[in-house]
Amino acid sequence: MPERVTEGGGAAARRPGTRLAGFGLLAAALVALPHFLSFSQKEIAVFLVINVLLVVSYRLLTLTGEWSLGHVVIMGVGGYASAIFSKALGVPVPLAMLAGAITAAAVAFVLAFPLFRMKGFYFLIGSFAAGEVIRLLWKRFRIPFGGPKGLKLIPSVPDLELGPITIDFFEPVSYYYLCLIVVSISVFILYRIERSRIGLTFHAIHWQDHLAESVGVSTWRYRTLAFVIASFFAGLSGALLAHYIGTVNPNRFDVGEMVFVLIWAIVGGTATIYGPVLGVVVLTIINEVVLRQLGFDQMRPLFYGAILIASILFLPQGLESLVGKARDAWARRGE
Amino acid sequence: MRSILKRSNISRRKFLGTTATAAVLAGVSAPNLAFGAAKTVKVGFLAPLTGEVAAWGLPGLYGCRIWAEKVNAAGGLKVGGDSYQVELVPYDNEYAPDKARTGATKLIREDGVKFIMMLGGDTWPAVQPIANRTDMLVSTLLPSDLSPDTKTLIAPCEVHPIYNVTGVEWLAQNKPGLKTTVICAQDDALGRPSVATYLAAFEAEGIDVLDTVFFDLSATDFAPIMTSMLAKKPDILCLDTAYADYVHPLCEQAFLQGFKGQIISCTADFYEKIIEKTSKEFMEGFIFQFPDFDDPALNGPQINFPDPNGFYTEYNRRWPGEWGAVSWEYASILDLWRAGAEKAGSVEPTEVLSAMKAGGKGLHAFGEAEWWGKELFGIDNALVGDWPVVVIENGKAVIKEFKSIPAWWRKHGKLLVKHFDKMGEMYYQRG
Repeated sequence: MPERVTEGGGAAARRPGTRLAGFGLLAAALVALPHFLSFSQKEIAVFLVINVLLVVSYRLLTLTGEWSLGHVVIMGVGGYASAIFSKALGVPVPLAMLAGAITAAAVAFVLAFPLFRMKGFYFLIGSFAAGEVIRLLWKRFRIPFGGPKGLKLIPSVPDLELGPITIDFFEPVSYYYLCLIVVSISVFILYRIERSRIGLTFHAIHWQDHLAESVGVSTWRYRTLAFVIASFFAGLSGALLAHYIGTVNPNRFDVGEMVFVLIWAIVGGTATIYGPVLGVVVLTIINEVVLRQLGFDQMRPLFYGAILIASILFLPQGLESLVGKARDAWARRGE
Repeated sequence: MRSILKRSNISRRKFLGTTATAAVLAGVSAPNLAFGAAKTVKVGFLAPLTGEVAAWGLPGLYGCRIWAEKVNAAGGLKVGGDSYQVELVPYDNEYAPDKARTGATKLIREDGVKFIMMLGGDTWPAVQPIANRTDMLVSTLLPSDLSPDTKTLIAPCEVHPIYNVTGVEWLAQNKPGLKTTVICAQDDALGRPSVATYLAAFEAEGIDVLDTVFFDLSATDFAPIMTSMLAKKPDILCLDTAYADYVHPLCEQAFLQGFKGQIISCTADFYEKIIEKTSKEFMEGFIFQFPDFDDPALNGPQINFPDPNGFYTEYNRRWPGEWGAVSWEYASILDLWRAGAEKAGSVEPTEVLSAMKAGGKGLHAFGEAEWWGKELFGIDNALVGDWPVVVIENGKAVIKEFKSIPAWWRKHGKLLVKHFDKMGEMYYQRG
């Protein structure tokens, strides 16, 4: 597992005004973004925003030092639950999404009992096994999970009537903005959790779990808390996905998909909240936009693998380390 | 020149202005004239080109490239007095629904395709709302995608898994002493309806199914699966419909564990490699459903695939060792689509669809066929006719007979509905 780096940044970077301006610029860019994209790139942008939430929520779990192989399955739990709530029980889609996220958190809470009897490599394998059990349950029980084919014709987010304007969430631009709002709020919450005393305790458990226990911290309780919170947001990302593409099936949430999440986190880095975001954004753009436009459709796995190897060799602390270095260089320039 | 201008009272400035305008207009209109002579119609190819399902996408794209080159070289499609060159636009959906949706959006809204060919399966439900909204004509190789609400989806070539009944029927007629079988199947949207079909086919022939073993797509060790199958001592091993990545190790395990009986499977993609891993003797008599197109039986008058032997030769020249079940299928769908467009006098999806289905019959690659499927899929959008039974003889796939699927359906249709219903595969049972 990659070593964490300390967050870089000089005095200029830490200045609240500079930071606020930076966020303002980023927000403006994200709002304007779809208007510069082609139709298919807008679709990719929707999935990218959803994946940002997935990988940032995954990072919260890694704060306690545990790397799971079941996070994508937990995403699927959110997607399946939201689909079932809305399709079979007639729950309005926004509420179903929330219920899907809560279901994912509840499943994580139950799984925490056996899983957090393990640590490190054993937790990794245990999480994989737990995920496979859930996936096989989806396959086994046609009712309510739809069996191997999964569920389809999942209701989409209903159109929003704003006076004369109707917002159709089937359109990628509308759904992009919806996801952007949901994901921004979620990422902000995750950021605040990390910066709170709870987040500091997560870090403490990661680096000195015995020491933390010696001062009265229940490592099991905090690991469970991180797992449940991360799963809530992973479930939310699954719900966002399910109601957009209108289908969920067991194969969509298999370990192959989980490998992508790991790659995003490793290539981006997990020391900062923007590390995995950089990983998923850069790799998605390379994989889905650049390589496709260059006509390398069938060669993409090869390039993807090469990028992963190169980043581990030459950027062992992830893309986020470049940001830290750039900020330091900028701060030194100003001194 | 100056004297001419003087005589006609045209100022030099006016002359130059008029000439420049004419030149610009000529420049603008010239490409239109050129386009009028060579129109282009785009066809989307939205299938897995990478990943574990690529074997049912990429070889099909190769076949389509040969088809498009031949058709374009012969002047293209003749539609409503115009000639259209066909341009294939591939998009690798990696067999993932989200990427299929992105691909469909790109093909329809950016590339302006008039027809999309898909493998179907997991990827279709994400494309369905887009196809419905845009009335886009889409083809699938998996008719289990069909339902009453998929009006623009057709299965005009492969009626998977219904044609598997022909292999069992032939087996029972030619090897009547074989009375027991064990089925093993990948546990997914391909494997399960195929199991229902094999169960119906075996029941129709009085062959006893001793066990049905499902394995997950994540399976890598096939030794225990084969051991449990062989423990039942079946006369026939049925490998159902499985990816090449599973058929190969299953055959290898059957060989290693000393199985001497009959094997039947939907596919045997890259069977030469299976023979390399086992032996020619072991694979002798292996029954499956997908012929090599150098087979002389494909030169019969009923075949509607142009020059199958030449197609096979060209395919293997360009992509040696890549021939598989789908190599010809997407190309044969293009043939049907072309016939539909030429008959409709239009390349517009809805008009082509109407022309294709007019009269309830169509020219399938293996002979005249009927649009069928209401009882099983809730819609008559599957083109069903004869299908070949292929047997490996002396290391080579040989067509033994073309058998009629509609004839089997008329005799045993109720069995198929019974097993589809039992497996939850009827259109009204799907999630």
